[in-house]
Amino acid sequence: MAEAAAVERALGVLTERLDERTAAFLNACVRCGLCADSCHVHLADGDPASTPVAKVERVAKHYRRYHTLLGRVVPGLVGAEDLTDAALQELVAAAFGRCTLCGRCALTCSVGLDPSAVIRFGRTMLLAAGLVPKGILANRDAALETGNNMRLSREDVVETIQWLEEDLRQTLGDPAVRLPVDEAGARVLYVLNPREIKFFPLSISAAGAIFHAAGESWTLTSTDFDITNYGFFAADAEAAGAISAKVIERAEALGVEELVVAECGHGYRTLRWEAPEWLGRAPKVRVVSFVEKMAEYLADGRIRLAPTRNPLPVTLHDPCNLVRNGGVIEEQRVVLRSAAAAFVEMTPNRAENYCCGGGGGLLAASEFAAQRVAAGRIKADQIRATGAKVVTSPCHNCIDQLMELNRHYKLGVEVKTLGEVVADALVPPPPVA
Amino acid sequence: MTLPSLVLFLAFAISLASFVVLRLGLGRRVATPFAPPRASAAAGVRYAFTTAFLPWAKESARQHLTSYVAGIVFHGAVFAALGLLVLSLVHVAPPPGASTVLAVAFAAGLACGLGLLGKRARTAALRAVSTPEDVAANLFVNAVLAAGIAAVLRPALLPVFQLVGAALLLYAPLGKLRHMLFLLTSRRYWGTYFGRRGVRPSPRQAAGPRG
Repeated sequence: MAEAAAVERALGVLTERLDERTAAFLNACVRCGLCADSCHVHLADGDPASTPVAKVERVAKHYRRYHTLLGRVVPGLVGAEDLTDAALQELVAAAFGRCTLCGRCALTCSVGLDPSAVIRFGRTMLLAAGLVPKGILANRDAALETGNNMRLSREDVVETIQWLEEDLRQTLGDPAVRLPVDEAGARVLYVLNPREIKFFPLSISAAGAIFHAAGESWTLTSTDFDITNYGFFAADAEAAGAISAKVIERAEALGVEELVVAECGHGYRTLRWEAPEWLGRAPKVRVVSFVEKMAEYLADGRIRLAPTRNPLPVTLHDPCNLVRNGGVIEEQRVVLRSAAAAFVEMTPNRAENYCCGGGGGLLAASEFAAQRVAAGRIKADQIRATGAKVVTSPCHNCIDQLMELNRHYKLGVEVKTLGEVVADALVPPPPVA
Repeated sequence: MTLPSLVLFLAFAISLASFVVLRLGLGRRVATPFAPPRASAAAGVRYAFTTAFLPWAKESARQHLTSYVAGIVFHGAVFAALGLLVLSLVHVAPPPGASTVLAVAFAAGLACGLGLLGKRARTAALRAVSTPEDVAANLFVNAVLAAGIAAVLRPALLPVFQLVGAALLLYAPLGKLRHMLFLLTSRRYWGTYFGRRGVRPSPRQAAGPRG
């Protein structure tokens, strides 16, 4: 009974919430299969079910059944199928277990469609059916209820930042260094991934050192700082919009000019590109990635770097949501060429880079952990081929996955955020007298 | 107007009307984006309809050059056949010498179409997603190309070409051949997406460090 209701709800999405873009993609796919080799999951497991076209078909065959004449009359001819509970379970495996929504297949599609948009629509159907992995939903709900996905209290945040500020002053030997919090009138609001506060505080210190060196007027916020968005991964536009709105409205309330998004691929994508569509308006502040900000500081001569301070060969992993789906492509290269003595590109790179395997919210979906690490083999092979000793990536989700790949595939590399690499190379400004 | 010409004309009209209905009923419209663009949506759309077709533009074409060439030849032949069908309605004969060229083009298209069908049968990943209609649609188009060869070599067979072509036109909006319309919509959205975000045709360059 409950299963029938779930099918009905998913069917409601398929019949009522399909937009023109997704419908065009569903009608345009000719199942040529040329997308197959673009997918890191398929390259890793060789399973025909992992090709982008096979994942698109998990949605398309139901689309044909309910939206096309031949699908209604002779479903067997066109491979149209009824939506059933079993079909929804297969869709879970395809849309979550076998896909990180990285969108690499979109760049290779011979027709010119975006399979990840169709698979994301499949996730919306699963959301209606109550079949999105619980870990993703738990993070979404935490962000909606508390303002951040780790349920950090305001006190946790403030105490951590105060401790980091003291530590940074000692490290830099500069008592003027500040990690300001909730300061109205600052020009820049820097917003974080809560994992930075809990597990990777050094990336906050690195950002603080860079803002200080640049002489920036900036602030952190003790509330509504979470740039992650598990509503986005759940394909829950309503929740995703509400989560993004908290951050944007906090920036607007503080009266800043720029909302600088810390190193988080999907955080940047959602706040920069998706949130305006969810909210139905453009933010009153400029939304910019910390990567872009660092490149701007370099271009303006506001920070100076000594690449010899990073002597080991460094390679760069391009986060899919920042690069392929966000357009921030060259800035990190400009930064790295200034920050590291030897910067080695992966092959392929930029928009054609392979996903690390940790995208699409899979880091929170423990039931797919083994598949996630297995799919990361392609990234591990890419890293190994560079001969680099340091891997950097401007994305905390990617960093988490890269650290796990480092252990699993015994890569023997150090994994760092881009900000950490830059902070290590930073030529500090003279202390204020 | 001969009976086959009339049938062909009606098939063109019905097919066109069907495609218009399909297009209008596609789904709810996508709103104009609110996010400020990083680059040009128009440039992305232009790219999607021009240089994105070039063999070096996409990894899939670079890696599967044989399939890419076969696809280009196959579709080129199909467009030529459709053009010839249109000409047959207005009683314009191909210029002298064109018959041989068209026959070769249709034959090459036919060979490529069958080759792509063979690839579908041989490749596990393609078999896994194939439907009976993938075969039927391919053979249907190949039948038109075969009829085209016959018509250009023996003009008396033009009515057969027209009738087979008419059947294809009537079928096109129903099955996977509808991609001939939705490819256009799909590419426009694709180009808009990657163009606005500055991913295609080429990323925005970042200024280098000063000093």
